[in-house]
Amino acid sequence: MSSFHKIIVFVGYISLFHSAFSAAQHRSYLRITSQEFTTLPLDIVVQAVASLFAVMWGVLNIAGNLREIPAAAELNTLTWETQYNMPSFAIFNHRGKAVNQSKYVPSSGKAELENTEL
Amino acid sequence: MAELLLDPHIRFWVFLPIVVITFLVGIVRHYVSIILSSQKKIELLQVQDSQVMIRARLLRENGKYLPRQSFAMRRHWFNNEETGYFKVQKRAAASQNPMTDPGMMTDMLKGNVTNVLPMIVIGGWINWMFSGFLTTKVPFPLTLRFKPMLQRGVELAYLDASWVSSASWYFLNVFGLRTIYALVLGENNAADQSKVMQEQMSGAAMAMPPDPKAAFKAEWEALEITEHKWALSNVESDLLSITEDKN
Amino acid sequence: MSGTTKSKDNKTEPIAYSEAALRNNAIVVEYCRTSMAALSGSTAGVLGLTGLNGFAFYVLSVITLWVMFMIKAGPNWHKYYVSRQSLLTNGFFGALFTYVLFWTFIYGMVHVY
Repeated sequence: MSSFHKIIVFVGYISLFHSAFSAAQHRSYLRITSQEFTTLPLDIVVQAVASLFAVMWGVLNIAGNLREIPAAAELNTLTWETQYNMPSFAIFNHRGKAVNQSKYVPSSGKAELENTEL
Repeated sequence: MAELLLDPHIRFWVFLPIVVITFLVGIVRHYVSIILSSQKKIELLQVQDSQVMIRARLLRENGKYLPRQSFAMRRHWFNNEETGYFKVQKRAAASQNPMTDPGMMTDMLKGNVTNVLPMIVIGGWINWMFSGFLTTKVPFPLTLRFKPMLQRGVELAYLDASWVSSASWYFLNVFGLRTIYALVLGENNAADQSKVMQEQMSGAAMAMPPDPKAAFKAEWEALEITEHKWALSNVESDLLSITEDKN
Repeated sequence: MSGTTKSKDNKTEPIAYSEAALRNNAIVVEYCRTSMAALSGSTAGVLGLTGLNGFAFYVLSVITLWVMFMIKAGPNWHKYYVSRQSLLTNGFFGALFTYVLFWTFIYGMVHVY
């Protein structure tokens, strides 16, 4: 789908460039034949405007997806594992170990904590 | 006023090159400043200080949810005359002058090298190389007040104000291509000079490291005068009244 | 805090927006707006519009872009934008400068010489 829009943008650019070239040619033709410039030929106008709209539409779709802004839309997809991880409430140094020194077995570190959680 | 006829060679040898040069210089400046930029180092002590400050503030604001004794213990840990954290920790007063900080100095120099220098050099070069051409005509009428802005280097009193000289065309490009850089390079790019200049203006005040000593003193005072008022003293009766209302 | 409740009688309830999503949408909108300004400026230059016609063309293309945004978002646009009006008016003059630059550039390339 995205490549389709990229093709639209590419073709639109070329078409816009082509219409610019045609307009320049038309101007020089008028100058050589010493006519007064009033308006461009209708086909160049139509080509330029149509390619403008095509490129705009393509860019709009290439630019990226819009995300839903209500916070609930994102929060709904979170899992409990993400929510449960609260760094502010982590306890590393509980005073209970001073009270109960004989039975305290120091954990071997972070790896073990993670294992028991799962 | 008769229509001027410009030589078509001006289009390909003056008009277009100025646009291309301005654009490419912006791109190059973006990448050069990426190369030169240095990541700000965070010191462990600073992080520690700021975390302690956050903890003290939390205690001050939410201490009412703690029992009186717990609150007193925590405050004691911060504020005790002999062992309190705010009393024990001695921080040196922050260096006031950014000029004495060599890191700051080089950063400023780099900013100047990547922003001001190319602007002067390229601008001067364009002025010298493409001086004295009329390049284009803005497609809308302008008043005479725009003449010195748009016709720098071409001093013709009777020329219509909507003609643009080459030097002015360069400056129009410098300021007008800013949004295009945002498009090509992404947001917050270094080619955008106006943002950098703004940063240099306000950055002096913001980048100054907050003086930990004064901050500790203020926080100590605030914590000292905090009055503990337990918010949960009537919690049982409140809860019962809620349930009674429902029934 | 739930942001999905949109009851008419309870207007005062705040709707929580996701900061990251808002910023992402703003970047997308800004991208499209800049492209639109550059492209429509080029087209105006190709067409050889002068004076007020060119500015009218700019207003026209801003409105066209807005309509395209509405078509893309579909009927439930308030899932993506906070307000439709600000989508139309935000950055109007910032993009106008880009528009004028490209308009002048292409007009000079095509019509002056």
